[in-house]
Amino acid sequence: MKIFQLILREIIHRKLNSLLSLLAIVTAVALFVSFFTTGQASKRETTRLMRNIGFNLRIIPKETDIEKFWITGYSEYSMPENYVYKLASHEGLSYAHLTATLQKKVTWRMREIILTGIAPEVSPPGKQKTPMIFSIEQGTVYIGFALARHFGLKNYDLIDIFGKPFTIKQCLSESGSEDDIRIFGHLHDVQDILNMGNQINEIKALHCLCVVEDSNINSLSILREQLAGVLPDTKVILISSIASAREKQRMMSEKYFGFIIPFLIVVCMAWIGVLALLNVRERRHEIGIMRALGYGSYKIAYLFLGKAVVIGLIGAVIGFGIGTGLALKYGPDIFKVTANAINPMFKLLYWAVIASPAFCALSAFIPAMIAVAQDPALILREE
Amino acid sequence: MVHLEKLNKQYRTRSGDIKALDDVSLHVKEGELVVVRGPSGSGKTTLLLSIGGMLRPTKGQVIVDNNDIYSLSNKERARFRAENIGFVFQMFHLVPYLNIFENVLLSSGIGTKQKRQKEAEELLKRLNLSDRLYHKPSELSAGEKQRTAIARALINQPKIILADEPTGNLDPEKSEQIIGYLEEFHQAGGIVIVVTHGKLVDQYTDRIIYLKNGQI
Repeated sequence: MKIFQLILREIIHRKLNSLLSLLAIVTAVALFVSFFTTGQASKRETTRLMRNIGFNLRIIPKETDIEKFWITGYSEYSMPENYVYKLASHEGLSYAHLTATLQKKVTWRMREIILTGIAPEVSPPGKQKTPMIFSIEQGTVYIGFALARHFGLKNYDLIDIFGKPFTIKQCLSESGSEDDIRIFGHLHDVQDILNMGNQINEIKALHCLCVVEDSNINSLSILREQLAGVLPDTKVILISSIASAREKQRMMSEKYFGFIIPFLIVVCMAWIGVLALLNVRERRHEIGIMRALGYGSYKIAYLFLGKAVVIGLIGAVIGFGIGTGLALKYGPDIFKVTANAINPMFKLLYWAVIASPAFCALSAFIPAMIAVAQDPALILREE
Repeated sequence: MVHLEKLNKQYRTRSGDIKALDDVSLHVKEGELVVVRGPSGSGKTTLLLSIGGMLRPTKGQVIVDNNDIYSLSNKERARFRAENIGFVFQMFHLVPYLNIFENVLLSSGIGTKQKRQKEAEELLKRLNLSDRLYHKPSELSAGEKQRTAIARALINQPKIILADEPTGNLDPEKSEQIIGYLEEFHQAGGIVIVVTHGKLVDQYTDRIIYLKNGQI
């Protein structure tokens, strides 16, 4: 009779032992899958939110008067443009989507406008990402809604800004902010107009927030520390947002996840190990007679390890299904993630069917070795 | 044939060493039926298991069919046991989750699957178990269980049957039946060594050995 048939028959025969072992592995896999699925969804959701909100870091010259900065919306001081490249090339920083800008209030056609020069986004090494803002070609401008309406400007109109000709690439829709009175141009064009070659007055960036794993540590102080090492004559302002709150919640859940999962693994391993040990005790006479019938040590070991592997495989599939179901149903309530962000992660099923049988076999290893080491003579003398 | 040469077996316990077999020498010829008797703890089962290659003696030799079985590797001994020795125990030791047919086929044997299945069917028919082939051990009477154990012992056409109290759990009628099957094997030229307190087997036995304190 084939060993695999023996394993299946025994699993069906000793239902309670098999079901309890299955329960252990299903619990472990389901909790892992649900935590991981919701955790990943939460991460994606936070990233999406942050992208929607826009840049949350503003790096400005150190001597900037913050009160004035908030009143005017930009720094009256400037800093070299190459600061942005210096910052981008520095490894270990938690910044992404770096953009150098130069903005200044000027009077154009008898109206106060904010002339804003934007350089193409710069990504730190190895963090090449899709740009968050539109890229502006030299010789073109984007016109804020209020200005376009006031001056009757249309897309592709030719205009003159302080003696330089520009094509209107686009008249922007109403934003309800100071952007409505802005003219956006390429940084170098704006530098030329303002006669501020190679100067900028702000670097906008997106802080990924992921470095601050300890909620007790102020992320801003870490940012400032990092920045002080690279650009000592600048300062940073972090704009708090709902995204940061969500990110903190995600990090907290990851912290719990980091504790719960190893704890769960140890408990489930012990659980499966004890059940396998009970199984070995219950099957003492079976082991004895199999030995008498010529079964070698490896066949006896296969009986127990094979059972663990079969239960691990079934547990992986059921656990994945339950875990994904739990994540889809309860994830949005527990982790405050929008339901759409949670998707079944089928690659977890792939990992589960590999890891779960290995985990079960490892748990049943000692009991299997005990079964192998049992002296059949001692067992068969017990009448 | 079975030849035991100055067989010694000592068990180490917390309260000291126990001599289960003390210089036991024995020669059993082909076609012989030997009964082993003795008080509880005299070493009967130890003797049987030592002959069966299940219990390595502390000293001495066990030669079965010209093979010094304890000089064989574990794997070789397991194979030798499967092919040459059949065991019958008082407690039957049937695998509870297999049916009768599968229990008989459990031993690793020689030949194709179809041939072994046919042999098992014939054997079970001979032992009046053909209507119980697909029953689980829990659905059988004690006599039927022991007949299944005998079928399992016989399936590989062994040279020797070692039976430890094969009738210990059976009523006189069933016991007679079981002894009858052992006698049948004996008559066919096989060696039977049976440990029993029962007298039913005495009429067929060639020799009765008494063991006391591990000595014959």
